Amino acid sequence: MPEAAAALRERGIERLEKGIGLVFPFIAALLVASLVLLVIGKNPLLVFSLIAQEAFGSPNRIAATLSAATPLLFTGVATAICFRAGVFNVGVEGAFVVGGLGAAFVGFALPSSLGLLLVPTGFALAAAVSALWLAVPGYLLARYEIEEVVSTLMLNFVALGITGYLVNGPLLSEKSGNNVTPLIHESAELARLIPPSTLHAGFLIGLFVLAAYGFWIRRTPAGVESAIVGQNRRFARAVGISIPGTIILVMVISGVVSGLGGASHALGQLHRFAEGFSPGYGFTGMAVALLGRNTAVGILFGSILFGALASAGTTVQLFSDIPLDIVNIIEGTVMIFAVVELGRIALFRRKAVK
Amino acid sequence: MDRERGDGASVRLGAVGLCKAYGSVQANRNVSLAVKPQEIHAIVGENGAGKSTLMRLLQGVEQPDAGEIIVDDAPCRMSSPRQAFASGIGMIHQEFMLAPDLTLLENLVLGDEPVAGPLARIDWNAARDSGGAHAAQAGIEVDWDRKAGTTPVHIQQYVEIIRLLRRGTRVLIMDEPTSVLAPKQVEDLFDLLRKLRGAGTTVLFISHKLKEVMALADRVTVMRRGEVAFTSSVDDSTVSEVAHHVVGGLDLGRRTPTTRKSSSRAVEEPALEVAGLYAPAIDRSHPLNGIDMFVRAGEIVGLAGVSGNGQSELVECLVGLRKPSSGQILLGGMDITYATNRQRRDEGLGYVSADRRHEGLALDASIEINAIAGSQRRKPIQRGKIVNLGAMRRTAADRLTKLDVRFGSLRDAVRSLSGGNQQRTVFARETATDPTLLVVSQPTRGVDLRGIAAIHAILHSIRAKGASILLVSEELEEIIELSDRIYVIADGRIVGEASSGIADVAILGQMMLTGTAQDA
Repeated sequence: MPEAAAALRERGIERLEKGIGLVFPFIAALLVASLVLLVIGKNPLLVFSLIAQEAFGSPNRIAATLSAATPLLFTGVATAICFRAGVFNVGVEGAFVVGGLGAAFVGFALPSSLGLLLVPTGFALAAAVSALWLAVPGYLLARYEIEEVVSTLMLNFVALGITGYLVNGPLLSEKSGNNVTPLIHESAELARLIPPSTLHAGFLIGLFVLAAYGFWIRRTPAGVESAIVGQNRRFARAVGISIPGTIILVMVISGVVSGLGGASHALGQLHRFAEGFSPGYGFTGMAVALLGRNTAVGILFGSILFGALASAGTTVQLFSDIPLDIVNIIEGTVMIFAVVELGRIALFRRKAVK
Repeated sequence: MDRERGDGASVRLGAVGLCKAYGSVQANRNVSLAVKPQEIHAIVGENGAGKSTLMRLLQGVEQPDAGEIIVDDAPCRMSSPRQAFASGIGMIHQEFMLAPDLTLLENLVLGDEPVAGPLARIDWNAARDSGGAHAAQAGIEVDWDRKAGTTPVHIQQYVEIIRLLRRGTRVLIMDEPTSVLAPKQVEDLFDLLRKLRGAGTTVLFISHKLKEVMALADRVTVMRRGEVAFTSSVDDSTVSEVAHHVVGGLDLGRRTPTTRKSSSRAVEEPALEVAGLYAPAIDRSHPLNGIDMFVRAGEIVGLAGVSGNGQSELVECLVGLRKPSSGQILLGGMDITYATNRQRRDEGLGYVSADRRHEGLALDASIEINAIAGSQRRKPIQRGKIVNLGAMRRTAADRLTKLDVRFGSLRDAVRSLSGGNQQRTVFARETATDPTLLVVSQPTRGVDLRGIAAIHAILHSIRAKGASILLVSEELEEIIELSDRIYVIADGRIVGEASSGIADVAILGQMMLTGTAQDA
């Protein structure tokens, strides 16, 4: 009996550790920000409550936060699905951007008479383009063991280059200045959920994708297999799981999700494609995935946290003399500590291998 | 000079009432030990009996909670490994600690280089001379310019011994020194140790193999559950008496191999046929140079050989983890030479990997996942296109209880299980799908005596169901005990075949070492 009690206590401690691990980056970030605020002579508690106010204070502000969280739902899932399988895909940013351009292209280039068909067509093209985009480094990794970190990171620059050229050349809008495509047809726009705010139907699609991801990882053979591959490739191979197949599969799904995110952003938020389409959603998505430990619920909270910081950051400085940099510091510190957590896990694994 | 220290002492290295606890586990309880000068003393016990803890205490790696360590009749506080080393206590670990990319000579002097001249340059000639002198004294030859990584293991072991002797070690502690050696090499090592004993060195060694203990040691101490269960002069005890104490009075009931039920079905098509198989090498071991062999249905076939003669390559080719360059593999008459691992599994192949920690299990994954991996697309776990979580849990629990794996929760990492339970988990997974051929590599490596008995029982029960087993093991005794037929592999070829009835350790060992068939 004492053994059972000990096991129970151990499990309790384990759970507690897990919980602390999840909120630890956030608490550490608040501490660092407090330090900075104290140095410049501000009361950290007042500032934090102001930020919280700006992020969640009214239905409007909540809508703004969720609107800012929307792209992160997609990029978080797109990153997590690869990280879980031990594939360090850092190319979600690029896939998000090419997908966005694909959807915008459908939105303005196809005849508006297509009406309701425009939205699904836009999403489909975006998903296809981005899936293809990430399938390339996936294939290179699976077939030739070319480091995915390098190939996907480099592809991000290629994505920026190609889309930058297109929106300044062939796809440049004739009406507005430069760096943007024409606006999409009204029928291609996603519905706004709470009209004055920019929160749009893409948020719901994001929630759906998140739920589908949560289902996929636990309840499909491929999802279970990808986790085994992430745990131990040699083991996975020896029990008959195809490593190349799994790598390509998660990269393609990651591409599809990135593309859907780009489409949601283009059709729901900007209503066009513009240079600087993504202020680093793909990279914030990595922080979200790390922070959320690749779980669906974790990604939801991670997205909302970063969404809140983004939406509060833009307005906090309008109404107070708090520099915007404080919010950036919090954001940056959360990311750093989330990555530290990842490093700790990686180190632990390496030790275990020895 | 060092040799003279402590002359006339009656106890060279000893312990009185050592206690050490890790958390709630009492790893050593009131352990007393007395190793006389120039004695070869064996410590025997199951995994977890407290042998390693005792060694760590004697070496100063850890401090005892109570009790004393004795060196040359005087109590001695071992506060660090360095201090133990200065007192003349040196340890050779189970995994050799030589730097693979340095030459043997560099390894010999590493950390204690002889220097000469005003710039204190390393005096390689002096190093070579001192190494040579020690080697000559021990009656062995060492090619000092060879890289340690490309040197055969038994030579590496010699170098480790000489390295310690050169630095004044008077008590040599060895952890399972014979686990990597072929029978002939074991003999040579024993000769060397006896010679060292004659020259004044004291040896304390840990072993699982009672026959070796009885052959080499002067005294034997048995540890069990953290305590000294038995100690005796070897001349005054027998193998069965010592074995009795190792397992704690439990009768292992050594089974005589069951009579071969397979003979009635011998006319059937073989379960496995390999013809002219060639394959490239892993690391520096030998490639396969045309393997021809077969395994009948309901037969356990042993593959004996000194490690690194193509066993790993053959196993990987058989289970589909390596592409042969030519040749043919038939599983139940079906050509699977280039089939994937999954296709082979669907045709009835099971695989117990030699590398339990990295290939047989995903240590950080849950016990549940480790028990069902590979079956995630089979019924009842997959229903429609969906994984049925309840069925997954039940399947895992079923498989584990069938093989008597003791675990806390299915969600615990498999790492938390003991070695024997981990290996049973592998068997639970690999036998659950009723394979027609089970390829089993080193099934009892790192498993304690009772665990070994359990695994042997599992292998017998698999055969009793009519399945075939290819057993690859470095434990010759294990192969002889379990196999119906034995192949000997050397240099990537099958060099001999024997039926278990006439198999003789000496003959098999000679085939393994010389690579030529002997007239049995």
